[in-house]
Amino acid sequence: MTKVSTLAEAVASIPSGAHVALSGFATARCAMAFAHEVIRQGITKLTVSQCVGAMDADILVGAGAVERIVYGGGSRGRSGQHFCLNRAIEQGDLITEEFSSLSMTFRYLAGSLGLPFIPIRSLNGSDILKRLEEKTSPLVGRLQDPFTGEDWLVLKPLVPDVSVVQIQVADEEGNAWILGPRWDNEEQSKASKRTIVITEQLVSTETIRRYPERTLIHGFRVSHVVHLPFSAHPSSVYGVYDFDKEHIKIYAQASKTPQGLQEYLDKYVYGVKDHWEYLEQIGGMKYLDELRADPILGY
Amino acid sequence: MATDLEYTSFELMAVAGARELKDGEIVGVGLGLPVISSFLAKRTHAPNATILFELGVVDPEPLTVAVHGLSDPRLWYRAKIHSSFADMLGSVLHKGLIDVGFLGALEVDMYGNLNTTLLGDPKGKFRRFTGSGGGNDLASNARRTVITIRHEARKLNEAVTFITSPGYLRGGDEREKLGLRGGPSRVITDKAIFGFDPQSKKMRLESIHPNTTLEDVLSNMSFQPIIPDDVPVTVPPTAEEVRLIREEIDPEKAYAGS
Repeated sequence: MTKVSTLAEAVASIPSGAHVALSGFATARCAMAFAHEVIRQGITKLTVSQCVGAMDADILVGAGAVERIVYGGGSRGRSGQHFCLNRAIEQGDLITEEFSSLSMTFRYLAGSLGLPFIPIRSLNGSDILKRLEEKTSPLVGRLQDPFTGEDWLVLKPLVPDVSVVQIQVADEEGNAWILGPRWDNEEQSKASKRTIVITEQLVSTETIRRYPERTLIHGFRVSHVVHLPFSAHPSSVYGVYDFDKEHIKIYAQASKTPQGLQEYLDKYVYGVKDHWEYLEQIGGMKYLDELRADPILGY
Repeated sequence: MATDLEYTSFELMAVAGARELKDGEIVGVGLGLPVISSFLAKRTHAPNATILFELGVVDPEPLTVAVHGLSDPRLWYRAKIHSSFADMLGSVLHKGLIDVGFLGALEVDMYGNLNTTLLGDPKGKFRRFTGSGGGNDLASNARRTVITIRHEARKLNEAVTFITSPGYLRGGDEREKLGLRGGPSRVITDKAIFGFDPQSKKMRLESIHPNTTLEDVLSNMSFQPIIPDDVPVTVPPTAEEVRLIREEIDPEKAYAGS
């Protein structure tokens, strides 16, 4: 059954207040076109989760679409901090549930396996744990190992309403490949109630059947397949295009202040009708062609 | 070897970091200096070391280390494995297979606790930084941790503002009692190398870098480490180690100034 739909249709399936797991990692495979469309549609009060803070979460927070962030920290690496995220947390505009990369992964993993909790060695002794223990609705607990008698920290599973995965290749049913490192994306999708796939390339199911071991996103978990080239711009999609250093600089500079971000949103999000207009706005095909990845290097 | 070999303090730190890694070990690497150190170790005394990045990259051979971060695909080039957090931090790190967690830090205290979350600014407010990422996981689960940090009084503090990644907490057996594996073994700065006292778990001066004095080391930190009677001078980099960093590992000097 085909699940191919427009980005607008896929985004419209998400109600305000939903928990959305995002596939970005810093400046890689961020669901940027998706985030822009969420902002344009005026969806708010989202819970956003991901292992490592990425540009998709940052712009959603900056635009006021997010009420709660569940994540493991993160930055844009050498291109700087997530200014919107940090500002919102410093000002108390955002409910934060901060973990680490592995504790987030374990929470998704527990969700994907249908487990009620998962033990972990990480976080013990840290102020990250202290803050989590102060939460009124518990996210962490303690249990005795019935086999050894040892005391273990346990985490509550994450079961997002929807995971949004920005990937390279999918068929119309949503069977999809994630090429290159995939950080938390496989567990995110399997933990979630459903998955929206945003793919650079749409292939036939015959192609999927030819390499079934590559199917990391299962079509039967997928509600929408959106085929949209350069939909992670300005972040990278391994093997397809590199991250756009220059545009990330523009975003970094703009996002340092709320006014700057508003101007950015006016120009690149509200000022365009859809992703195709966005691509024209940043310079069109001639500009984007420069970002195409070398097939051997992957960037 | 000529005694007048010139090297930067960054190169000295990178070489000191490399020497902490043994051949055949599995190393979980954070961004920055640990990348240079682990690549240097692989080209010198530890060709069989396995280098692992948390997001799912094992033993890459990048053409450049001038990368934007772990998410920069330049760092993933020619890797032997592309996988996931669950794989790297779960079935390798949490299982107990990582020998060394190699981390940079914003702030470290006398028990090796690390802060990468909150730092006070001159106006007395707190600024947020990156938080944990995989830092807490490496510090909690690796068999030992090697930490690199700039030697400044505001970075080497008696107690950190926020424990992102635990060292020995308040010392003694406090870490062990919480079921945490390993613990920090070395703190490498641009002035000295520190270890930890086996009982009290307080930071202990192991060596002072060439052309640095004990006074210089102590006046630029906010606590008094244990100072043994005999503190040797850090063995300086060899000409070959400096050449490898400059010509093969970081020819663009991506880290030379950092």
